[in-house]
Amino acid sequence: MIVELRTWFRYLLFRKNLKEIDEEIRFHLEQLTAAKMAEGVSEPNARRQALIEFGGLDATRERCEQQRPGWWAGIMTQDFRYALRGVLHNPAFSIAVVLTLMLGIGSSSAVFTVVDRILFRPLPYSDSSRLVSVGLVAPIEPQEFMLGGSYYEWQDNQKPFVAMTSETGVEPCDLTEIDPVRLDCARVENNFLPTLGITPVVGRNFLPSEDRPNAPKVALISYALWRTRFHRDPSIAGKVIRIDGTATEIVGVLPQEFEMPRLQAADVLLPESLDVAAQRRADPGRPLWAFARLKAGVTPEQAKAQLEPLFEYSLRLAPAPFRREVHYAVRPLRDRQFHDVHRAAWILLGLVMAVLLIACANVASLLTARRASRQHEMSVRAALGASRLRLLQAAILESFVLSAIGALAGVMLTATLLHLFIGISPSGMPFLSAAKLDARALIFSLSIGLFCTLGFGLVTGVSRARANALTSRSALSMQRARLRQFLVTTQIAASLVLLAGGALLTRSFWNLQRQNLGMNYENVLTATISLGQTAYPTAERQMAFFEQLQRTLRWGPGVNAMAMSDSLPPGGYHRDQIYASLRVEGQPPYASGTGGNVAWRWVTPEYFRALNIPLIAGSGFTDDELSSASRFVVISRSLEERMFPGQNPLGRQVYLANRAPADQDPPYTVVGIAGDVKNGGLAAGEEPEYYRLRRSRAEDWDRSAVVIIRSSLPAAAMERWMREQIASLDPALPIDTGTLQERVAKLADQPRFEMLLVSYFACTGLLLAIVGLYGVTSFLMVQRKPEIGIRIALGASKGDIVRLVLASAMRMVLPGTIAGVALAFGLSQVLSSLLFEVGPHDTATFCGSTVLLIAATITASLIPAVAATRVDPIATLRVD
Amino acid sequence: MPTPTDLLQGTLDLLILQTLALEPMHGWGIAQRIQQVSMDVLQIGQGSLYPALYRLEYKGWIKSEWGNSENNRRAKFYKLTATGRKQLATERASWDRLSEAISQVLGKRAEVSS
Repeated sequence: MIVELRTWFRYLLFRKNLKEIDEEIRFHLEQLTAAKMAEGVSEPNARRQALIEFGGLDATRERCEQQRPGWWAGIMTQDFRYALRGVLHNPAFSIAVVLTLMLGIGSSSAVFTVVDRILFRPLPYSDSSRLVSVGLVAPIEPQEFMLGGSYYEWQDNQKPFVAMTSETGVEPCDLTEIDPVRLDCARVENNFLPTLGITPVVGRNFLPSEDRPNAPKVALISYALWRTRFHRDPSIAGKVIRIDGTATEIVGVLPQEFEMPRLQAADVLLPESLDVAAQRRADPGRPLWAFARLKAGVTPEQAKAQLEPLFEYSLRLAPAPFRREVHYAVRPLRDRQFHDVHRAAWILLGLVMAVLLIACANVASLLTARRASRQHEMSVRAALGASRLRLLQAAILESFVLSAIGALAGVMLTATLLHLFIGISPSGMPFLSAAKLDARALIFSLSIGLFCTLGFGLVTGVSRARANALTSRSALSMQRARLRQFLVTTQIAASLVLLAGGALLTRSFWNLQRQNLGMNYENVLTATISLGQTAYPTAERQMAFFEQLQRTLRWGPGVNAMAMSDSLPPGGYHRDQIYASLRVEGQPPYASGTGGNVAWRWVTPEYFRALNIPLIAGSGFTDDELSSASRFVVISRSLEERMFPGQNPLGRQVYLANRAPADQDPPYTVVGIAGDVKNGGLAAGEEPEYYRLRRSRAEDWDRSAVVIIRSSLPAAAMERWMREQIASLDPALPIDTGTLQERVAKLADQPRFEMLLVSYFACTGLLLAIVGLYGVTSFLMVQRKPEIGIRIALGASKGDIVRLVLASAMRMVLPGTIAGVALAFGLSQVLSSLLFEVGPHDTATFCGSTVLLIAATITASLIPAVAATRVDPIATLRVD
Repeated sequence: MPTPTDLLQGTLDLLILQTLALEPMHGWGIAQRIQQVSMDVLQIGQGSLYPALYRLEYKGWIKSEWGNSENNRRAKFYKLTATGRKQLATERASWDRLSEAISQVLGKRAEVSS
């Protein structure tokens, strides 16, 4: 609009001036001629002399125009219109450039936004770069943890930290008042907030005297709870609420942006109230999680070195089999929080940089190809007196128009992609749901756009502004062609790497989806129940509720099997212990190390039927055993092979808590061998597993259980019925229902996310490479037009010409493919930890990707090849 | 014959303003007048005369209007504006200062060398 108006205004002025200048000059010439004639020269001669004396008419006119203020702006608008016309005149070229820029800018800024949240997000603690997570690392818990027996020793004697603090985890708790709610209560040490550098927005932190056993109960509440439940009551401090039935005084409110260092959700902070003296004596003591603030100038590595003697101390406490497998770690808090996604984030960043590289190379080669096809026009303009600066300016403007459109489309693509990413992201990707297009991402994309403009506009402008007369070819242009061919070769190599990566992940995902989990998860409904502390204070009450629930649900309509366990395969939480703590009656305990982890669950007799887990030997649990005083266990096949190699395990006695006092290590009778079931997530290897029977005895129950129902009725109807049944027993009980299929699908979220992302980039990369190849092949075609014309004139057939162009394209494709395969071969190792049942050098995948790439490139070069067959030999011969 | 580029920067503007101070004139007239008055020493090339006229007009020192020439042809006449008159006075003063300074330098040189 503004441009139009200005153009119109300028145009008016410009026309008038031109006429005036012409008329003025004409008058001047007449006067000059008249003067000559007065000296006695004949009229034609006088006119000729006058013209010669006056000099270049156009130059004078041009110089008069240049005097006008705003002359520059006028020229700019003129060039701008010219550029716009150029863009519209050649839609194929323009679309290719805009598409390239859109994909490059869109993908990179979307990924930048996502990765930014993970890699560069500021943590909501003061001077958070100095906060570290400190603790022991063991196969059973690969993330740092501490034990009460060691923690206080470390806290007292450590040197590298300003302060060291701990939390003992988050548990569900009930706010038992009118309108009770289930909350998450975190227990923290009294120096927790000061160490993290957090000050309550209302009230105060815990006092050391409040962090003792039997101290008066106090709590800090989250900002969200303060807002929703207490309506931002400014005088909240001092108010007494009941948590799990205990009167607790609120002493403060946490800041809005507060989060636990391990990112658990927490509504209430309570003091740990550990008996420090007892913990010091205890072995191993209460598990807790420790965090510390480094002294200024101390790195995590230095801190780790300084903690060595303390680690030695802890190691002496550890039981002998553990010692070789226990290590310790000090690492930045951010690394701990994004433990799993860190690598994925870097891979993503690497991918997007590859795409960006391809996009830049594309824009460069397309712009140069375009310049080449307009070389003639440029030479004419230069010959007519256009200055080098003017030609350069025109070149920059044209690429500016293109990149502006491309950047705009890129920003729109960013928004779309971000939406998409959030939609498909697994819940394990922290903060992704909060990612939104921010100013920095925009600046990021726009600076890429600007870089493309100035960089390539300048490069192509300079190379063409040389205006090497009107000769049709030069050594220089061939040299530049070689550079572009190299760029395309690089591009093809990069896109093959992406393609191979995408194909590997797709295959891996395919395998993951089709694998045998060792059970059947169709037509299975689950409900996770956690009983409140107040309503169900004892194990007896808890068991009574669950047994009543079993009776209610077991004989419902369409229920084929019904079981209760404390956890569910194939992923997520389950109980674990080390192999060395198992022992077979009459055999020595396992003595070389921990022996790795063994998973186990509490189950009721129908568990195997409900999940369709085959019983390989033995009868499994029976209802008779429910009332028995002795204990029973079913072991998985892999555990059986390990504990009873070549023996019959049925009826044998095993001890499941070796090294515990004898009264806590009762014998269990093996009554069955079950098939192996995935229990470490979809991709991870499976641990040997055993199942303990949950008998009708309070000692076998606790406050949480998972109901498993196999039913032939539709899941939605069953789910409603089940909710009704549970509500009829306890209407206030929070439950989490869903099909097992949904749970399993959720486990595949992360690999699906990875697969889709990498495939997206692979497609983008391939598309860009095709566009680039098309651009360069077309350029070469233009360069060789005279040659092709001569060939046609000499009788070459269409097939010969197509072969000629294809051969020149293949000269770029083949080295690129070879380099790409080699590069992908080396780089796919990075992906190996993400792959499932497909090697990083899978032959079929590599062959498939290569064939796909070559097929696509042949298609891309066929377009200019066919165009080449239409070259008119007469026209080209005439030009030369 | 000195070409226009031989004139000192800004001198052409001064000459044009001074010429127009007497009466409104067209481009051809201005060139002729300067040549006449300077007794053919200063010949103004058209290639620089017209750009200079446009420049002065854009600066607002002179104004143009179409009128009839002595032989009844349509011609563009330039005349000095009030601003232009002030500018002429300033430029004259600085020119006088400059030429005085130059002649003094040259004069002293002449004395030394003689």
